[in-house]
Amino acid sequence: MTDQVSERRTALAFLLPGALAVTVLVFVPLVWVVWLSFRRAMPVFGVDRFAGLENFVHLFSDSRFWAAAGNTLYFAVVAVSIEVILGLAIALLIHQRFRGRGLVRAAVLIPWVIPTVVTARMWEWIYNPEFGLMNYLLRTVSLISGPVSWLGDPFWAIHAAILADVWKTTPFAALLLLAGLASIPPDLADAARVDGAGLWQVFTQITLPLLRPALLVTVLFRFLDSFRVFDAIYVLTGGGPANTTETLAIYTYKVLFQTMRFGYGSAIALSTFAMSGVASIVIVGLGSRSARATRSPDDAP
Amino acid sequence: MFKLKRFVPVALLSTVALAACDGPQTRPTQVTIVFRHGKVPGGPNLLRELLDRFENESGIRVVDETLPASTDIQHQYFITTLEGGRSDLDVVSMDVIWVPEFSRAGWLLPLSERVPGAARTLFFRAPIDACTFAGDLYGVPWYVDAGVLYYRKDILEAYGMGIPESYPELAGQVRRVLAREPTLYGFLWQGKQYEGLVCCALEVLASFGGSVVSKGRVTIASPEAREAFRFMREMVASGMSPPLVTTADEEATRLVFGSGRAVFLRNWLYAWSLFEREGSPVRGKVGVAPIPPGPSGTGGSTLGGWQLGIARQSSHPDQAWALIEFLTRPDSQARLARTVGYRPSRRSLYDDAALIRDIPVLPQLVGSIDRAHPRPVTALYPALSQILQPEISAIITGVKGVDEALEDARRELQLVLDEMACDP
Repeated sequence: MTDQVSERRTALAFLLPGALAVTVLVFVPLVWVVWLSFRRAMPVFGVDRFAGLENFVHLFSDSRFWAAAGNTLYFAVVAVSIEVILGLAIALLIHQRFRGRGLVRAAVLIPWVIPTVVTARMWEWIYNPEFGLMNYLLRTVSLISGPVSWLGDPFWAIHAAILADVWKTTPFAALLLLAGLASIPPDLADAARVDGAGLWQVFTQITLPLLRPALLVTVLFRFLDSFRVFDAIYVLTGGGPANTTETLAIYTYKVLFQTMRFGYGSAIALSTFAMSGVASIVIVGLGSRSARATRSPDDAP
Repeated sequence: MFKLKRFVPVALLSTVALAACDGPQTRPTQVTIVFRHGKVPGGPNLLRELLDRFENESGIRVVDETLPASTDIQHQYFITTLEGGRSDLDVVSMDVIWVPEFSRAGWLLPLSERVPGAARTLFFRAPIDACTFAGDLYGVPWYVDAGVLYYRKDILEAYGMGIPESYPELAGQVRRVLAREPTLYGFLWQGKQYEGLVCCALEVLASFGGSVVSKGRVTIASPEAREAFRFMREMVASGMSPPLVTTADEEATRLVFGSGRAVFLRNWLYAWSLFEREGSPVRGKVGVAPIPPGPSGTGGSTLGGWQLGIARQSSHPDQAWALIEFLTRPDSQARLARTVGYRPSRRSLYDDAALIRDIPVLPQLVGSIDRAHPRPVTALYPALSQILQPEISAIITGVKGVDEALEDARRELQLVLDEMACDP
């Protein structure tokens, strides 16, 4: 009995730091943001009063918010789709045995280890209309005749940002998927091959279904990450031109820290949080439903 | 806090008492003040040298701290520090657009009594106006900046053209040059969606006789403003300003003009010394002129520059004031003009023969600074700018028509003004 009590005490002592850290670093700020989102708080004007749902009502009619939500979703869906497909291709490649594989695996990761702000600055130079590499290359192969202002063009700007993001984070997707590939026992593919399955059949019938959990994790991680994209776009375009690259995170930043509307800014932040929550539930739901659909009847308990 | 406040007079008294004893060996308790400012071009020791001199003169110790280079981040830093009421901040260096905001929030001490009317007239008028909020002065102009028009002397001479007096005239000159030399760029300015775009747009707007807000009413959709913004769009659409301007900030345009690829450039005063630097392809070929005042004749530069103020939470306002007085003194300003390249905020220095000998461009700048306009002097400025930036960007990139964008901007601006009017 006393042994159990002291054991429980020890367990509590071990849990305490973690619990404390979560409370102080996650729970308290979260509650504070929720509290702020129901207030009208503008320190510059000495305004700080309860506002009920005012901020959220305003949010509904705020076209800039909805435009930012649209940009964010577009960015996330397009970037993540490309990253996962490219990442899968790279993962399959570096999963093979060949000479210098270690070197290639390390090289693939380089974009991922460079800090985002640094890569964004780099891409800013690549996209520079006058001195940039992009225009130079495209002009050399005669794809364009005059310099294109990639980041100043309302159509190209968001796609330029997507390309920069794909370059940077595809290695991360590849790494996660490589781990998934490594966990698939090789004898399954061997057995299939003995049964006469071709390369494509092995890939679609064995590799892909078994990779599903890893794919789900990759899509989820990458989606949540790109849904809160801030640094790369902030450096590249600052949200312009004409707000075509303004994401929810950038809008939140501008409202919170440039115009100092703490209440409304918190409401936007909270809505972003809710949206990414819903999105991740949808992704997980889709992932597990398709997993159930493909599971063979033998697997059923 | 209270203990500290009570302690201060005691400390001051004891300083005086010690000084009165005049013991040659006893060093009085020194007061230390904290001065936070932006990055000093050419290195922090250029400013430190001046602060050392102040320390020797006054016996006040100054701790100075350089903040990150980005203005936005400095703004954010000051807001959190001033709002949080941290006591380790006495002298604040402020961008010209922050003064009304900080004053409205009650974060600065009024300086009206320390700077009487006569003393104010020694400074340029625009920065004094920008530092005046609700009838009180909250900052002393430290150094000024203003938008100017850089032009290629050699090209204008070759075509027998003078300095443009109006934007349409400038456009005509560009058209003439580009017809013969299509590889050159015409007129470069800052069109990225950020504060710099608002600065450029306000200059065009003023030259066409328009304004953003006038006497508490939003005037951004006036016929004059429509004409001004139609002109801006036309510059981009017709190729008189290359597509690169829609993503360009100051440095991006400075580099292109500095490599000799363009005829005109709108930029701040800092660019001059870089064009005249040894090895620069445009050295000796660049002229600097005021922003074209026409067609309506009311145009002028957007005012920039930095002001010094005293944080309300300062426990040593008198010592903080001593530092501000010292740094804005003519000899200190002349020194910083020579070492750092800061443009003095005192008008008399632009007639100072010794200073002109070292910085020959000074007399050419005085007209631009004299005619500079502060950006709308209101605590709401950050919100106004946030509304204007995407709408102007939409105009110049053709995402929205001029009328539509200005109507959207007008509605949004009016909303913000009304909202503030009902929230006391």
